[in-house]
Amino acid sequence: MRGIVRHAIVVAALLALGAGAASAHHGWSGYDSGKELTVTGTITDSGYEHPHGHIRLEAPGKTWSVVLAPPSRMENRGLPRAMLKPGTRATVVGYPHRTEPEEMRAERITIAGKTTELR
Amino acid sequence: MHPATGPAWLVWLETSGFAVAMRQWLWLYPIVEIVHIVGFVVLVGAAFMFDLRLLGLNRGLPVSAMAEHLLRWSRWSLVLVVPSGAAMFVAHATEMAANPAFQLKLALIAAAFLNAGIFHRFPFRAVGDWDTEIAAPMPARLAGALSLTLWTGVIACGRLLAYV
Repeated sequence: MRGIVRHAIVVAALLALGAGAASAHHGWSGYDSGKELTVTGTITDSGYEHPHGHIRLEAPGKTWSVVLAPPSRMENRGLPRAMLKPGTRATVVGYPHRTEPEEMRAERITIAGKTTELR
Repeated sequence: MHPATGPAWLVWLETSGFAVAMRQWLWLYPIVEIVHIVGFVVLVGAAFMFDLRLLGLNRGLPVSAMAEHLLRWSRWSLVLVVPSGAAMFVAHATEMAANPAFQLKLALIAAAFLNAGIFHRFPFRAVGDWDTEIAAPMPARLAGALSLTLWTGVIACGRLLAYV
């Protein structure tokens, strides 16, 4: 019986640790989804990179660092690297970072009339 | 997004052709992640099964035979885990080196290896005395419990380094 109790404690401890890790796996919790933003501007820099692509988007009064999606997903959804080249006009809809004032995460991006969902 | 700033050797790693390929080739990064996951599933899975035996489950199974089977696979899995982990580190070397979850992960890995080393050096030497149907001595059980805890921590840190 004592053995069973001990094993139960071990398993419970493992589950607790696992649950802790899982609850943090919402990702993106650093962004405030209560404040949806729409920003139109010109791409000044871009990275078609893992784990997430990103652009610098120069909009009137503010230049944003915009986090996009993994490049493999963007490629699959018809947003190849060439579409993000500097000088391109883009509109992003997304959420601002809670602590980084210049950073936002894009839910979707529209370039040359074509909208790509990033989630 | 993280600027490549930090110690020169980290910057050198992160700006190497291989690191650029890791970040920019569409499927290299996910493939390396998959290799890493398969590797640590074997590494940690086998270790966990052995640890549970040390803690007293399935006392009919000889500890020595379990060690020979399971721990061999744990060791071989390093062939998958270490290069894939190194590749992911190189891709974001400066960011990783400064990431507290990554730093803790390395410390926990070191502690897990030290724990395994001490287990093999001391209690496991006398495994013949408690191979089957007898409770493992306290140092062996402690090593098993530590191993479960440390490897769980390693996995947690590995996952959380993307979120801190």
